[in-house]
Amino acid sequence: MGAAAATLDYDAELMLRVKDGDGISFGLLLDKHRAPVVHFLYRLVQEQPVAEELAQEVFLRVYRSRSSYEPTAKFTTWLFRIATHLALNWLRDGRHERGQQRLDDGLSNGPGRQISDGRPTVEQQLVYEVKLEQVRQAVATLPGKQRAAVLMHKYEEMEYSQIAKVLGCSESAVKSLLFRAYESLRARLAHMG
Amino acid sequence: MTCPMESRNPEMLVAYSAGELDPETASALERHLAGCPACRLLAADQAAVWKALDAWETPRIALDFDQRLFRRIREEVRFSWWERISRPFRPMPFRQALPLTVSACLLLMAGLVLQHPGRIGPVEPRHETVRLDQVERTLDDLELLRQVGMANQPESGNSNAM
Amino acid sequence: MRCDFIRPVALSFGLAIAVAAAGQTAPPAPAADESAATQSQPTGNPIDRWNRMSPEERERQLAKLPPERARLIRERLRQYNQLPPEEKETLRENYHRFSQLPPEKQEVVRQRMREFRELPQARRLVIRHEIEALRALPESERRARLSSEAFRTQFSPPEQQIVRDVTENVAGKR
Repeated sequence: MGAAAATLDYDAELMLRVKDGDGISFGLLLDKHRAPVVHFLYRLVQEQPVAEELAQEVFLRVYRSRSSYEPTAKFTTWLFRIATHLALNWLRDGRHERGQQRLDDGLSNGPGRQISDGRPTVEQQLVYEVKLEQVRQAVATLPGKQRAAVLMHKYEEMEYSQIAKVLGCSESAVKSLLFRAYESLRARLAHMG
Repeated sequence: MTCPMESRNPEMLVAYSAGELDPETASALERHLAGCPACRLLAADQAAVWKALDAWETPRIALDFDQRLFRRIREEVRFSWWERISRPFRPMPFRQALPLTVSACLLLMAGLVLQHPGRIGPVEPRHETVRLDQVERTLDDLELLRQVGMANQPESGNSNAM
Repeated sequence: MRCDFIRPVALSFGLAIAVAAAGQTAPPAPAADESAATQSQPTGNPIDRWNRMSPEERERQLAKLPPERARLIRERLRQYNQLPPEEKETLRENYHRFSQLPPEKQEVVRQRMREFRELPQARRLVIRHEIEALRALPESERRARLSSEAFRTQFSPPEQQIVRDVTENVAGKR
């Protein structure tokens, strides 16, 4: 059994223990998947407080569903299906328009950004912020499902088959979504290369 | 190799830029790219997109994320407990309440008997097991406690030490 | 008439059983499970229970994990089990106090200890010394120290919070 399959079994096994009433296993699942879910939702809805609120709802629903949980798919497939569903609903509600105004407030007012390599100069920071804004706008222009597909493909490194299960469509539909999404992103971001 | 653009298979170029192709296919594609400007341009553009997306960092998650979540879960569980417990007792005539009271007394008596096995007979010892994830969690906590000095006995009170 | 009485009794008995069973499902806790919450003595933490399991059962559980992870757990357990007896006993007592905290409080203390771990070594030494000194004090003197100007001057606000949350929740009362 490969490492990835062993990981699959372990997540599902933990969830089955949660089903049996083991709270510690829920904590372990939370530790492992908290960051990926929040980061995914952040890039999808592009507002950190909203992303965290939606992520809380994701884990709440996972916990609520524990008694009926059956490991028919990968745990992460189920998890991201819930997350995508909540985020797309939120986007559809039109609240993203209010969120877009907050994007214009600029990064410096947002929560502490993780800087990977040392302290940038002011100029580097400005260049970074301009580039980042272009990336965020480019992703924000994608329709909901294309956006979700790209984020799962790029940042979660999910295969087409898993993305298809999350979005509830066929693999060929996922390929089509990704193709159109990347085409749009190339048009907006290729100049940054 | 057939040109991905001409064969309407540009996904291959996306997959190539993402490093998803097997080495053999990637090599074949690279040979094709050397002679195909259209494919080369798309691959280069896609690489630029990956690079731009790579630079998109995310904010830190709030420190009280877990606290808030567990508070919501506890509130929800408390509420559902109350719903479940209180439902059978809503308005109940005496005639129905009496058998319930009898049942509750029976249950209480059963509990008292089980708590004092010596009066009835020997109780089989339980086989104690604990799960590894509990062990890991406890090890994490113990290490944290040790780091802040909780493995050391405090010296007898001496406020002058500070 | 007797049948009329017995049926509701039987149904009510079954309901009482069901209600009691439903009450067993506790909400998740970040660290301590239900059994830890009901410990009356410091001998019942998960590591102690693990050590009391048969070797066959322990190996059976470890075998389910990826080898590297199993190896790490074995190593960590070995290090814990080989602590000097007084250190181990003190740690167990303090863990017992920690595990009795409500889950939210445990998470707060856990977070403070993680923050402590991120501090520079020099500050960790100073804060550790402070925590040890506070633990040795009677509660009234401890409170006085925590609200003193000297304490506020010596430690930054985040450091004060670390000292406060760890000491007040785990140090115990004298």
